Amino acid sequence: MPEIFIDGQAIQAEPDQTVLQAALANGIFIPYFCWHPHLSVHGNCRICVVEVEAKGGSWLDISCNMPVTEGMHVLTDSEEVRAQRKAILQFVTLNHPVDCGICDKAGECTLQDYHFAYNGSPSISRDAKVHATKFFDLSKRIVLDNERCILCSRCVRFTREISKSHALGIENRADHSLVRPAEDRRFDDDPYSDNVIDICPVGALLSKQFLYKARVWYLEPTPSVCPGCERGCAVQIWHRRPEWRLNALDPRQNAEIARVTPLENPAVNGPWICNKGRDLARIFERARAEQPMLKGKPVELAAAIDAARRLIDEARHAVALVSNWGSNEELAAFKQALAGRFAASFVKRDRQPEPGERIEDDFLIRADKNPNTAGARALFDDAPAALPDGADLVLVWGEGCDFGRLPRGAKTVFLGSYLAPENGHADVFIPVSIQTERRGSYTNFAGTVSPFEPCFAKKPSVADAETLFAALAQRERATA
Amino acid sequence: MRHLIPEFEKMKARYPAGFESSLVLPCLRRIQDDRGFVADSDIDGLVAYLGVPRVQVEEVLSFYTQLRRKPIGRWHVQTCRNVSCSMRGAERLIDHLRKKLGVAPGETTADGRFTLSTVECLGSCGTAPVVMLNDAYHENMSAEKVDALLGGLE
Repeated sequence: MPEIFIDGQAIQAEPDQTVLQAALANGIFIPYFCWHPHLSVHGNCRICVVEVEAKGGSWLDISCNMPVTEGMHVLTDSEEVRAQRKAILQFVTLNHPVDCGICDKAGECTLQDYHFAYNGSPSISRDAKVHATKFFDLSKRIVLDNERCILCSRCVRFTREISKSHALGIENRADHSLVRPAEDRRFDDDPYSDNVIDICPVGALLSKQFLYKARVWYLEPTPSVCPGCERGCAVQIWHRRPEWRLNALDPRQNAEIARVTPLENPAVNGPWICNKGRDLARIFERARAEQPMLKGKPVELAAAIDAARRLIDEARHAVALVSNWGSNEELAAFKQALAGRFAASFVKRDRQPEPGERIEDDFLIRADKNPNTAGARALFDDAPAALPDGADLVLVWGEGCDFGRLPRGAKTVFLGSYLAPENGHADVFIPVSIQTERRGSYTNFAGTVSPFEPCFAKKPSVADAETLFAALAQRERATA
Repeated sequence: MRHLIPEFEKMKARYPAGFESSLVLPCLRRIQDDRGFVADSDIDGLVAYLGVPRVQVEEVLSFYTQLRRKPIGRWHVQTCRNVSCSMRGAERLIDHLRKKLGVAPGETTADGRFTLSTVECLGSCGTAPVVMLNDAYHENMSAEKVDALLGGLE
């Protein structure tokens, strides 16, 4: 292991590390725009410059492309380095519009941070800024502001090295260089395209769905798990901070998903997620079912629970279809409290691939579009093609059940979260909370358990499945 | 471009395997020599032949102003407008050509005979101003010499 000295501090580096990697691994910060831990070294932004000290004199060089060598001495904050960084930032911002006031990236922008840390002075150029396209339609989901772009090429390398769509390139040269999509518009079909928004160090690549929606400092992230497929990528669900909640303006926004970004988890998804994970609002913000019902007649939650309990008590051959969108905790609660009261309990596949959706690939996307199939299968058997005849009660938990195919004459207890015609047809309908309203964990296809946290409060008329199962399990005598 | 593939095969032998993207530039030059410009169908053909991503071909095409995506006139008049030529009257020469041909730089005459372009340094500052007519250099140019040069062309 080569020993190197960064700012006089002795560091044991790995032989294949660069100076930048060794520094970051040991808590010494060196700024970088174009370097990214999961992409190839490009070395175009020059901001990671350091001073190398040697006997014959010292020199400046970029640390992202500098292999460590035994005994080397490096300064990350010398006067020369500071002057160089400042000069580089003058160049980086030469044609930058500095329109932070209307930029979605403001508050989490690397250029903004570095400007304050290493430059701090206005542009010294007397020339007019070179203008470029402000709203270039890069794909269906992404808009590109070429004036803000610093041409670090992270997005281009992402499409070549990670998503492999080879959908982006840099056209023209010099100060009229532009990031552009391939003319066949294949970037529209890159299911991982939105990751370039996260890795863009400036506000050049912007999500159309998040464009001008919120200032990021009004938002906070809640760690969660993407339920889009059995991969179970770690994500952060961004929503309004409680201290900045809106009262008069549009209070609905307080309980809305502002955006979804990946949460780095090397065991599951690395730092990436697919575009479906960005669109969780399309799943979670469908019209919610919040009214307990008996055959379509609205009742109090307690009355619905009583009615369901009575049906379970009276049934002689009850069958349960459990949700593979249920958390491990909910599934365990069902197993422990209720499974003994059912003749059989089967795992139901709540959701199928949507038309046009990428079914499966060799990167992240898995064919089973449910988050906890593995967790559910660990406790229950798969549902057979047709339920056994003679069932006189079916408890259906979650979506994806064809009520027309249930045994004729069987009573139904339905635990659902979204408005659907079958809610009113069930003998008992009890609305249950969704992932963003409760704590829990999913087990992905490889057996990795990932926890998620609640970010919104559920309505009082909506039940939490975990407590609901305990309530349903009580015999009628016990409640009396 | 399919008829050029035997030539491309010979060029390919000069590159190590796995360096197909290095062939993009020489192939594009050959295609342009053949057709006069690089058509969209040529890009598709080259992508299929070399197996490189289309965007890499597009990058090369846009990087080099010498490569064209659209047909041009029979005679391509390229006038240098860099420092030496400008100091020796290139701007006046461009104005003259603009009036004579009735088109702005980057445009082609309606009869399809001439395309006027301005270019950066042609590397012949000692004989400025320089005009390129198709592949030939014409040095120490003036309005009269340009008139004589273009006058005899089809």
